[in-house]
Amino acid sequence: MTTVEFSESHDATDSHLGAEPTKADPEPRGSWGKFVLVLVIAAVVLIPVLAVVVLSLQPSLGSTSTATFTLENFVNIFSQTDVLLWLRNSMVTTLATVLVSVAVAAPAGYVLSRGRSRLISGFSLVLFIVQALPFVTAVIPLFILFANLGLVDTLTGITIIFVGFTMSVAIWMMAAYYDSIPINLEEAAWMDGCSVFGGFLRVVLRNSLPGILSTAIFAFLVAWNDYLVPLVFLRSSEKFTFPVGLQSFFQQNSTNWGLVMAVAVMMMLPPVILFAALNRYFSVGGIGGSLAGA
Amino acid sequence: MSTSTAGQGLTRARTGVAVRGSGPPLAPRKTRRPGASPLTLGAFAAPALFLVLLINLYPVIYAGWQSLRDGSLIDAGDFVGLQNYADVLTDPTFWAAARFTVVFTLVGVFGSWFVGLALALLLKTRFPVKNTFKLLLLLPWVVPVVVSATAWNWLVATPQSPLPILAEALGLGNVLFLADPLLAKITVCVFKVWISFPFMMMMMAAALESVDNNVYEAAKVDGASKWNTLTNITLPMISRSTYISWILMTIFCVNDFPTIFLLTGGGPVNATQTLVVLSYVTVFQNFQTGPGVAIAFLMTLVLIVISVALYRQIKKVQIL
Repeated sequence: MTTVEFSESHDATDSHLGAEPTKADPEPRGSWGKFVLVLVIAAVVLIPVLAVVVLSLQPSLGSTSTATFTLENFVNIFSQTDVLLWLRNSMVTTLATVLVSVAVAAPAGYVLSRGRSRLISGFSLVLFIVQALPFVTAVIPLFILFANLGLVDTLTGITIIFVGFTMSVAIWMMAAYYDSIPINLEEAAWMDGCSVFGGFLRVVLRNSLPGILSTAIFAFLVAWNDYLVPLVFLRSSEKFTFPVGLQSFFQQNSTNWGLVMAVAVMMMLPPVILFAALNRYFSVGGIGGSLAGA
Repeated sequence: MSTSTAGQGLTRARTGVAVRGSGPPLAPRKTRRPGASPLTLGAFAAPALFLVLLINLYPVIYAGWQSLRDGSLIDAGDFVGLQNYADVLTDPTFWAAARFTVVFTLVGVFGSWFVGLALALLLKTRFPVKNTFKLLLLLPWVVPVVVSATAWNWLVATPQSPLPILAEALGLGNVLFLADPLLAKITVCVFKVWISFPFMMMMMAAALESVDNNVYEAAKVDGASKWNTLTNITLPMISRSTYISWILMTIFCVNDFPTIFLLTGGGPVNATQTLVVLSYVTVFQNFQTGPGVAIAFLMTLVLIVISVALYRQIKKVQIL
């Protein structure tokens, strides 16, 4: 009861959209009052996001259209910007980051979850300290190192940094999920002659899909949204990912809101769709449990 | 479970029983469990350790060495001792940035916690289409910061923006949110709270779910008011999660770069400069690598000390 368990945060009643209204409601009138309250709060909070969408659908500067609603911005950005290139570069880096992050964090999280020794407590502390360090400290040494390795201005370079970025939280997330899997399962597998790695792969990992998805979503958001790393490490425009692409386009066309916001919509769609689809698997509450128990 | 003392943990470690998990404590095993030797566990952790060493620890050590030299991005430079630190520490810009970092962090942590907790409590109750709202309220955190900074720019930056027009209509005169130092500071802090509250909401919602409903029933039977239930039951029960969320958010705020850099670039006249932004600007815009790295390294040292202290504290936070 002391720690936030991963599994508790996505039980069935909470996670399925639309499951709620079908239930018998004890105080329907009070509930509708709350509905209005939350509606107002959400509307105020979401003004900036709504502004992006609305502006992207309005005629932009220099447009001959008099309509109040148009999709021409979404046609024009393909000819006037490198939006497809940014989309491709961001997709490549993000997917690579997700795959490598999960692959590296999955076994490391197992160590944190199952192992008990001073060395592992030390490992846990190192992860915590690393999470606390300002990245701006690491930027210049990494820039020099990567320059020597030929990794500056490459998507590989920023992918490696993103994976390093995600490590602490990704490991905590995996460990938090493993904690909810009884150790008896592995022990049974070991009794049957399974190796530790085999037990991990076939018993633990096979039952950890929510944990893996949670970690993957986190890594996706880090790689897709981060601004400082591509700003420093990407030099040529054909290597730009979305964050630096949008920002450079915004700086050159800051009054042409229709086009800028159309690019912004393109950039925010992938993480929003991903999060809307997989949101019930995502839990940051587990980090707390993982930290407190380590 | 996790409040078990170090002694217990050690005993269980020796007998090879996991300390965590929500089940009852397992009985000590007589035999060593097969397989999971230190070597195997080491191999499991090796790739992650390698990455952490390469991307996080090696650069920090290198930065420490570099902060003692007058080099640049391409040139190692000469050894200058503590000159960079002397330059930085006697510069009023540094202290202004340090002060604003503290303000920005305090507002960011407690502002987002307050909003996040209030919304988590609200979302705990039942009302129509609740789950859609839950998802919508996470958007500020999911939407890339480059996009939201662009949107906030449109909202506040120029005299033609909606908020300045609204302020003028309300008779507040010509309000320039990002041109006035104090207003720019407030705007940046509000922007940070706006970005961060969904994270707090998720942390707090997960913590609230772990509180046993019977406790609330009992309080109701005893005639406790809603406010009393909140301050005497709910908040103490989620104190550990609250503490952890404060620590994580402190780290996020202190190290935050894009929120400020994209909205104001540290201006007007350095008013919204935090140490991270100052360090970046010093290195990449003023091309003073030595002092810039010295600022970053000072922050790093302070953060290491603070994080180790906070980390030890996590296990001591009492529940109820």
